[in-house]
Amino acid sequence: MKLVKQLAVTACAAAMFATAAHADSIKVGSAGGVTGPIAELVATIVKGRDLARDQINAEGGLLKGDTLEMVIGDSACDPKAAVDAVGKLVNVEQVVGIVGPSCSGATNASVQAVTIPAGVAVLSDSATAPSVTELKDNDTVFRVAPSDAYQGLAIATLVNKAGIKKVAMTYSNDDYNAGIAKVFEEEFKKMGGEVTANQAHEPNKASYRSELQTLTQGGPEAIAIFAYYGSSGITIIKNSLENGLFGKFFAADGMFDQSVIDQIGADNLKGNISITQASSDTGDASYQAFAGAFKATGADPAAPYAAHGYDATFMMALAIEKAGAADRAKIKDALRAISDGKGEVVRPGEWAKAKKLIADGKDINYEGASGSADFDANGDVSGVFAVNVVGDDGKWAKELLK
Amino acid sequence: MDPVLYGYMLYGVSLLTVGGMYAILALGLNVQWGFTGLFNAGIAGFFGIGAYTAAILTTNPHTSHIGGFQMPYVVAAIAAMLVAGVIAFLVGKVCLKLRSDYLAIATIGLAEIFRLIVNNETWATNGPRGISQIPRPFEGLPEPINQFAFLGVVLVTLAGVYWLMEIARKSPWGRVMTAIRDNETSAKAAGKNVETFRMEGFVIGCMIMALAGALMAHYLKFVNPQTTDPLLATFIVFVMLVIGGSANNKGAILGAFLVWTLWSASEIVAPRLLEAIGMTDAGIRSAYVRIFLIGLLLQIFLQKNPQGLLPETRPSSPGKNSS
Repeated sequence: MKLVKQLAVTACAAAMFATAAHADSIKVGSAGGVTGPIAELVATIVKGRDLARDQINAEGGLLKGDTLEMVIGDSACDPKAAVDAVGKLVNVEQVVGIVGPSCSGATNASVQAVTIPAGVAVLSDSATAPSVTELKDNDTVFRVAPSDAYQGLAIATLVNKAGIKKVAMTYSNDDYNAGIAKVFEEEFKKMGGEVTANQAHEPNKASYRSELQTLTQGGPEAIAIFAYYGSSGITIIKNSLENGLFGKFFAADGMFDQSVIDQIGADNLKGNISITQASSDTGDASYQAFAGAFKATGADPAAPYAAHGYDATFMMALAIEKAGAADRAKIKDALRAISDGKGEVVRPGEWAKAKKLIADGKDINYEGASGSADFDANGDVSGVFAVNVVGDDGKWAKELLK
Repeated sequence: MDPVLYGYMLYGVSLLTVGGMYAILALGLNVQWGFTGLFNAGIAGFFGIGAYTAAILTTNPHTSHIGGFQMPYVVAAIAAMLVAGVIAFLVGKVCLKLRSDYLAIATIGLAEIFRLIVNNETWATNGPRGISQIPRPFEGLPEPINQFAFLGVVLVTLAGVYWLMEIARKSPWGRVMTAIRDNETSAKAAGKNVETFRMEGFVIGCMIMALAGALMAHYLKFVNPQTTDPLLATFIVFVMLVIGGSANNKGAILGAFLVWTLWSASEIVAPRLLEAIGMTDAGIRSAYVRIFLIGLLLQIFLQKNPQGLLPETRPSSPGKNSS
């Protein structure tokens, strides 16, 4: 019993001590699946977030020298745990904004159940599910990891750059491919292109000849395929070539596999097929600024979403600085202002420079390690993608899309 | 209102809401483990059946999953219980012949099968991406009244389930259940159809679990296969029931609120403790230390208090009363 009492006293003292030591700290939630199925990944993502925090605190901190404090919340990649953890960050820790959570499911549940009603900005660094885009979030949910659907924009840009004005499209009727196809159609039309025909198809059919016949109407120059190579993609390309229906193909990463080349033949495909894939621009100055500092801490900059974790934290800090106060509502508005593609470029590590620019009332534009990180109307980023074409050796050759 | 105080109030509401849903789960388990002695280690599966049924029946139409029936909450909750009841009946037909630990293994397997089905039948459940934008009762009301209103829904449901379970416990039916648990052979010798009673206990327990699942789906506004992860949907419920007092309905409720509060609040306390003793990376470490501490606490508690906080009390039998 004595021990219990002592423990209780220690706990109380600890709580008081903690509050006293961080009187001038501004708390940001650092939510993630610290335990659970992706604990390994999250450990590195949190290191990315902490690197940003350390750099910021070393270069003058937030506002009037306040310390940026990242409070961990364990979302465990489980919606139940996430709602509880994020609820505590918002209600007990009184954070001004939240970086994370990591898993899409945890993010989806915690923003709907907690942060949207509370009006707290959430900036996820690794949730990629398209369903996050659809949420009615009062402009509080952002992410620096591109939605899976945003590959649609990458393909549309690719088709447009190839000088193709009329395109037919077909997608396998599943959430992933339908999501990409929908974005492709919207974006390609915005670029002035024409979608001559758009048809869903059921996977695992023996032949897609009749669907392809219909799709050739209206004189398309190429076909965009959103499908998995094994269940329908290869058959669609085979049927197209055998019957002379289509000769030029664009596709999303569901089609990316060596068996596509092996089964159809490199000669048949060379110069005629382009497949997009999410990637990171390792040659970019922003990425290198981050990678150098991250390597110095002994961590791997190429680890999945580590750069995104860094960016999300840095941007949250920029938003607090821009808002000029630890005020939830102002911070959510400021998140848009610090990365809208307008203003002087700020790169990872350049906290002192950013602080001065904001103090001088200048616009800033954060160019992140994970990409330009400019938010669209839904609070999503377009991400960085690469294109795969058939190389001379009969293998896929990757090239960064800019 | 002071924002810090307001925050703590909302946290309190969330503790009671989630605790209430766990209390319903614990009452469901109490019928099976507490009264009938059935070791159902697949709570997460029936919880998940309830959550998914309610999600599919109440959401708006969406391309990513079946459903879009926009049914009233009550209809969806009843449907969730019926679906779970039918599945429990079919499962019971096969599994209830198995004794204690074998039943546990079979039910763990069932929960896992359910998780794999919702993970892979993408056309119906949207697979790993889950079902989003599930409506919640009273969410249209202004903050924070809506949160209190939903808490009310949970507590009223809990009270209803408790009331029914108390009637069941005190009835002859309840006494047969405990008789089967304590001595199956003598229950048989007394002319009771043990198989039927065991089946009834199993089905009723599973239906209550599905009801908790339906409430949880509305509370989280989102379900995915991870929601049925056994740590926070099966094992913690056993801990709640055993700590609170197996075969005592009040104990099940007390255990649920207590263990959930402990589990949740430990995340606030653990990092501060570690920080106070000067540990670096306190945030990440504390997530693990917390799980360890809770495990330790349970061990100590169960060593000292195997009966739970509120031990079983037998209803007085009519025979005794009349004599």
